[in-house]
Amino acid sequence: MRVLLVEDEVRLADNLSAALRDGPGFAVDWAEDGLMGDDCACNRCYDLIILDLMLPKLDGLSVLKRLRGRQDATPVLILTAKDGADSIIQLLNAGADDYLAKPFDLGELIARAKALIRRGKGASHPTLTVGGLEINTLEQTVRRDGSLVDLSPTEYHILEYLMHRPRVIVSKRELLEHLYDYNWEHHSNVIEAHVSNLRKKLDGALPEPDPVIETMRGRGYRLAPEPQPEPDLEQSQ
Amino acid sequence: MRAFFRQRPTAFQPRSIAFRLIVAVMAVELASAILAVGLSFGYERHTHFHSFDVLLHGHVDSILGAVQDADDPEKNVMLVQADLHLPHDDIYEVYDSNGRVLGRSANWQGIPLNMLAPSQGPYMQLTVNGRPYRVLRFQGSRIIDVAEPGGGKLRQFTILYGAPTNHVWRAIRGAVEFYAAGSLLMLLVTGPLIAWLLHRGLLPLRQLAALAALVSVDSWQFSPPASAHSTPELAPLTQAIENVLQRLERSFLQQRVFVSDAAHELKTAVAVIKSSLQLLNMKRRTPAEYEAGLERCLSDSLRLEQIVAKMLTLAREENATTGSGPQPSSDLAECLESAVAQLETFASLRGVKVEVATAVSGVSLVPLIAEDCLLLVSNLLLNALQHSPAETLVEIHLAQKAGTAELRIRDHGDGIDPDALPYVFDRFYRGDPARARSTGGTGLGLAICKAIAERAGGSVTIASQADPDSPDRGTTVTVRLPLAAKVANSLPSA
Repeated sequence: MRVLLVEDEVRLADNLSAALRDGPGFAVDWAEDGLMGDDCACNRCYDLIILDLMLPKLDGLSVLKRLRGRQDATPVLILTAKDGADSIIQLLNAGADDYLAKPFDLGELIARAKALIRRGKGASHPTLTVGGLEINTLEQTVRRDGSLVDLSPTEYHILEYLMHRPRVIVSKRELLEHLYDYNWEHHSNVIEAHVSNLRKKLDGALPEPDPVIETMRGRGYRLAPEPQPEPDLEQSQ
Repeated sequence: MRAFFRQRPTAFQPRSIAFRLIVAVMAVELASAILAVGLSFGYERHTHFHSFDVLLHGHVDSILGAVQDADDPEKNVMLVQADLHLPHDDIYEVYDSNGRVLGRSANWQGIPLNMLAPSQGPYMQLTVNGRPYRVLRFQGSRIIDVAEPGGGKLRQFTILYGAPTNHVWRAIRGAVEFYAAGSLLMLLVTGPLIAWLLHRGLLPLRQLAALAALVSVDSWQFSPPASAHSTPELAPLTQAIENVLQRLERSFLQQRVFVSDAAHELKTAVAVIKSSLQLLNMKRRTPAEYEAGLERCLSDSLRLEQIVAKMLTLAREENATTGSGPQPSSDLAECLESAVAQLETFASLRGVKVEVATAVSGVSLVPLIAEDCLLLVSNLLLNALQHSPAETLVEIHLAQKAGTAELRIRDHGDGIDPDALPYVFDRFYRGDPARARSTGGTGLGLAICKAIAERAGGSVTIASQADPDSPDRGTTVTVRLPLAAKVANSLPSA
């Protein structure tokens, strides 16, 4: 998941970026002022935007209004040092999804960030299930038909992203955009290698593998091809 | 109206303007009523007694007609009372020049002769039978036997005629009483009427007060009706209220912005420290990582310390009142010297050269304590150094003109955006936040400088050229401070 952090306090931005990278393993882009934040948000490759309110050049509320004005539905978490219900009401009404008052708890920030990303993708529970595949986004563990599969962090992040969009073709470019931050070298063959490993690990454990990730040549990847009606029924029981 | 008085007792307390106005108007009314009654009394008395006197003369004339030839050898005159038809209350007496009484009214014993001094006027007051009378004395004469040769004989006599004045006085009193009662009635009617009119007339004032009472810290809205501005009595008050409210609102907003900004700064600084510690605690780390993390936490808390210290300095400078003690004084040149010495290392670290040109020999005493003076100069110099790229020059110029010390600090940095220039002295303002923070700026330095300079009766101004193509690119800060008076004269000898 890729997060845009708009925060003018350098040290705070450093800490938040480090925490988001180290903890849930998000890719984090940092914008140090409102205009830059607005520019970055225009790329529409973020799963969450963490926005400070008091920003130079363009304040957080204006960034938010511009964002929503573009019909951009990316979840927005506001960081505010302001007190008072008025400003919070104003923010939520302007399209913010959540807010945290400074000084906040880093653990709470990460939990809220995860929840907002999950909600933004239509899932309400940290455990995602598609077919026989189940991932726990809190523990970052993956089970295939009940047995644990050991994945590298990147493989896990690719799978998590695909799990959020089952049966939708996800291009390599989209995966790149959402898994790596701005400073990363964009090489699509990195993705290919990771997906190949991921597929091996998911299917290798089973005696009769039913490929979980489909490769659509030239278009991207798709999780869980046409579901068989019988396993679906079994799953629901 | 009584009910009205009871309802609004506050409006009629002894010191209320309405009460005083009503009392004044009533007093004037009362005085004029008394004057009118007095004048009417005078007038009524004059007219009544005038007609009374005419009546007396008429009666005297009829008595005169009744004085007739007595046909006696002495050629006397006599009074024929049978023809007289006079009011029975009236008194009269006729006597001749020898004092012989020719006749008198039945209800009178006559007048004592000693009262008839010739110097007295024709009228006199008498009390007869316990009643006051007004008596007319008339000198009459008659010529007896006009037809006789050698002319008749002149007989002189005096007629005293009096009538009671009771009824005249009664009439006068009646008229005066009528006037007095009328005036009193007027007073009773106009008093409450004036009170009511005043109450109505002062309504705009009360409305204004009610509007002003609605103003509070949360709602500065004061919109007086248009009439308040056009009424000559209300316009100055309205204007004054509006001005005061505007000034109050401005300073209140400034304070509120400052508190909000200060809270933001402090909370952010605390958030940095907290997140640094929590980040460190997120997972197990190597001793080297812990060490580096602790180092960062320490520098973060150092920044918080700086912000707090600067806020306190600013609060001290802005709230300091000019004490009654001796005026402080310190040498600006000396402060400049120590500031340069203090920041020498910092300047050489950044590769910036500092050049000082002093156009004054000796001391420039300014009305500041040495600590503040040094803080002012070093803050400005630090600011210039922080905005100077390597291999550039910071020029400092100290001069004196017309009782003012002028310190100019010029850097050759990127300059300040013209849009940002008016705000650089605002508290917590940073031209370039990322850079300012990375160099340890709190956005309070220039605000502190301004507060110090203004407290000493001086000023700080800033001029900047941000155009990258201009050869004059950079920022010049100019401080003007008044020279401390007592030593300003002795400067040339130093």
